[in-house]
Amino acid sequence: MSVSAIRRLILTGLLVAIGIALSFANPTFLSLDNLMTLLQDASLTGIVAIGFTLILITAGIDMSIGAVIAITSMICVNFISYTQLPAYVYIPVALAFGCAIGWVNGFFITHFKLPEFIVTLATRGILAGLALIVAVKDDQGFVKNVFIEDELFLSLGETIGPVYIVTIVFVLLAAATQFFLKRTRAGTNVYATGANPTAARLSGINTDRTLIGVYMFSGFCAALASIFLAARMMTAMPEFGIGSEMDVIASVVIGGTPFTGGIGDIWGTVIGTLFLALVKNGILKLGLSPYIQPIVIGGIIIVVVVVDVWYKAFAEKKAAQAARRKAMQGKEAGA
Amino acid sequence: MSTNGKSELLLECRGIDKNYNGPQVLSGVDFFLRRGEIHALVGENGAGKSTLIKIITGITNRNAGTIAFDGYDVPLEHSKSASEKLGIAVIYQELSLIHGMTVAQNIFLTKEPLLPGLPIIDIKKMNQMAQAMIEKYGFDLKATDVIDRLPIAQRQTVEILKALSNKASLMIMDEPTSSLTATESERLFGIIRMLKAEGITVVYISHRMEEVYDLSDRVTVLRDGKLVSVLEGDEISPAEIIRLMIGRELTADESHHQMVDKSAGEVVLEVNQLSSEGKLKDISFKLHKGEVLGFGGLVGSGRTELMRAIYGIDPYDSGTIKYQGKPYAPTVEKSIASGFGFVPEERRLQGIMGAISITGNIGIPNLDSISNGAGFVSDSKELELSNKAITLLNVKPANPDVLVGNLSGGNQQKVVVGKWLIRNLKLLIVDEPTVGIDIGAKEEMYQTIERLSQEGVAVIVISSDLPELTRLSDRIIVLRKGRIIKEFTQGVVTEEQVLRAASGIVEGGVQ
Repeated sequence: MSVSAIRRLILTGLLVAIGIALSFANPTFLSLDNLMTLLQDASLTGIVAIGFTLILITAGIDMSIGAVIAITSMICVNFISYTQLPAYVYIPVALAFGCAIGWVNGFFITHFKLPEFIVTLATRGILAGLALIVAVKDDQGFVKNVFIEDELFLSLGETIGPVYIVTIVFVLLAAATQFFLKRTRAGTNVYATGANPTAARLSGINTDRTLIGVYMFSGFCAALASIFLAARMMTAMPEFGIGSEMDVIASVVIGGTPFTGGIGDIWGTVIGTLFLALVKNGILKLGLSPYIQPIVIGGIIIVVVVVDVWYKAFAEKKAAQAARRKAMQGKEAGA
Repeated sequence: MSTNGKSELLLECRGIDKNYNGPQVLSGVDFFLRRGEIHALVGENGAGKSTLIKIITGITNRNAGTIAFDGYDVPLEHSKSASEKLGIAVIYQELSLIHGMTVAQNIFLTKEPLLPGLPIIDIKKMNQMAQAMIEKYGFDLKATDVIDRLPIAQRQTVEILKALSNKASLMIMDEPTSSLTATESERLFGIIRMLKAEGITVVYISHRMEEVYDLSDRVTVLRDGKLVSVLEGDEISPAEIIRLMIGRELTADESHHQMVDKSAGEVVLEVNQLSSEGKLKDISFKLHKGEVLGFGGLVGSGRTELMRAIYGIDPYDSGTIKYQGKPYAPTVEKSIASGFGFVPEERRLQGIMGAISITGNIGIPNLDSISNGAGFVSDSKELELSNKAITLLNVKPANPDVLVGNLSGGNQQKVVVGKWLIRNLKLLIVDEPTVGIDIGAKEEMYQTIERLSQEGVAVIVISSDLPELTRLSDRIIVLRKGRIIKEFTQGVVTEEQVLRAASGIVEGGVQ
């Protein structure tokens, strides 16, 4: 069994163990309501994390995702406040805007050879400020709470059977993205670009186009999550999503996609997202202060990364030993 | 393969000129390849082999001359992708493989077989196609193996398969055996002969003369950027190739450099039976005060590995080291404190900190002498120290604030040496000290080493530049495959003798 498969198995085992422990600690944990809400939380983070996984596979980073969520929701409320257009018109516009931001990120990264972190941090700042500026204000200039009344929009926050629509979308998007990564040429190009950009170019891959595409997808995912968040809250605020980078990065890293590029997949991210949502839910169900959430998440990231690094060194050492043994045998046979 | 209407030659390069804004690297070189031959390209370091290959593969452009490949006139503005489309492939050791992917994915990258009518990769078919190729050539691989877990020799075969799947008609292999074991090399030779049987032309670059001798149909010898000779059939012999490669008459200076016996001096360093699995085997030698000990050998013979072990960078498995008569277990900190200096092979990677000034580069390994007990660094002492090094080695510009990354190669190297010279130096190890630096700076480097030896510093010189090695050394040890194969202690040593030893040509045949 491969290293990543073992890792995934251990993580899934932990997931189940924590779940069982929580169900003993607080019987309401296992209620359908709580589980569906947990999945709803996981799905909102998870949709953004899917895009972010592709970014990490290319060895990049996207700091703008939170701000994309904010600006997308503000675009929606502007349409709601100043036009009579229905949701099925402005939601696609908002999603396209998310893609456009991704394109801008990708363009600056590839065309000017700028560091991904700097470019996306800059767009994050610009978009977060812009979200406040374009937010709908009342007469005194305070941000006004615009309520969503469009039925189609609101229905996105509802359930089919017991399952929230956002969870269904998350599962479908995860499956489609996983399929894309593993079974299409473009998906293969994403891995190649992250693992070894020089080799990828030598093999005829247009790495710039690949990168721009990946940043556009990340922008799209963030915008999509924003729509579902607004539908759930029945309103939108310019602070939506700001600071959510932490949860997204944690989910992807826990899921086993490293920052070094070329490695990772969506299943890992799905498990990581569920794991994180479970921990957050557990903190509430145990009656602990919500303020310790970020501390626990930060701690988990460190532990996961340390174990990963340690295990990688261990595996490499074993592989090197095996290779050397084989080489020595060969040498003796050849001498 | 039908050659109807085609010339016998696959590649015709005529009168190739190349200069990199200054020195002429190639002048008027002709290079012809026949279809389906194994053609060795040989020459000393700096003879122009790599440049010629880069021109053929479109990594760099020639200044003048014509190239025709398979009847197609290659324009002056050539490119890597254009050369690939023509069917020219270079087999790198691992550069062009994607880690984390399987053998099959690497072979078919960007041209994966798709399910009929869909943009979906047919993984099963891809693996079958790859496995079929692997089996056709009898490689020891599985299509689903992940690249990361394969030893270098097998990665190389993946490279070859990838080139084959690109329908390459010319494969260029640059030092393909430098990190292979004997068995792996033999297997590679079998593969090369198989490629030849398929009508593929192979250009083989190697410093290992016995391989060239065994394998090649023809040999092109370059020297100082010019074509010296093309050997064919019976004309090919290791000794003849070496004679042609070195060629020039030895200058009086080089030929009269006598070995000097300095074994009467105090023993500074004594290495006994040093071994390191897969790298070094039973290395023993003594180094005396004021002695310059040269280490010859081919790339990959274990010279750098030996020095890294002595300096305490890499661990070794067995054997002992004595320093000034006492047992010594090296660590880098201890080596620096004991008066060792180390000038590493890769200047840019290991020697300098390019984004830091000369002062900073000199100061960092000497913090002990420029800081006080509380750990605060004295700027004036640091400046004094770097000015001293600048004067001592004639660094230009003599401005301690200049960033080292902006200096010429020669002056960078002076800074690397300089940071050791201002210490109480007892032993200096220099690994390829003059690679990529100009003649003037080279000469200054030689004078510095000679002066140090007169002052009683023991010096170890590793060099692949044979005139340099023979000129500097009082004694030369030649390594081959991690072992000491020959030691020259007296008289005049010629480059030819060193190269023969390094290539394993001893009395009675190839070892």
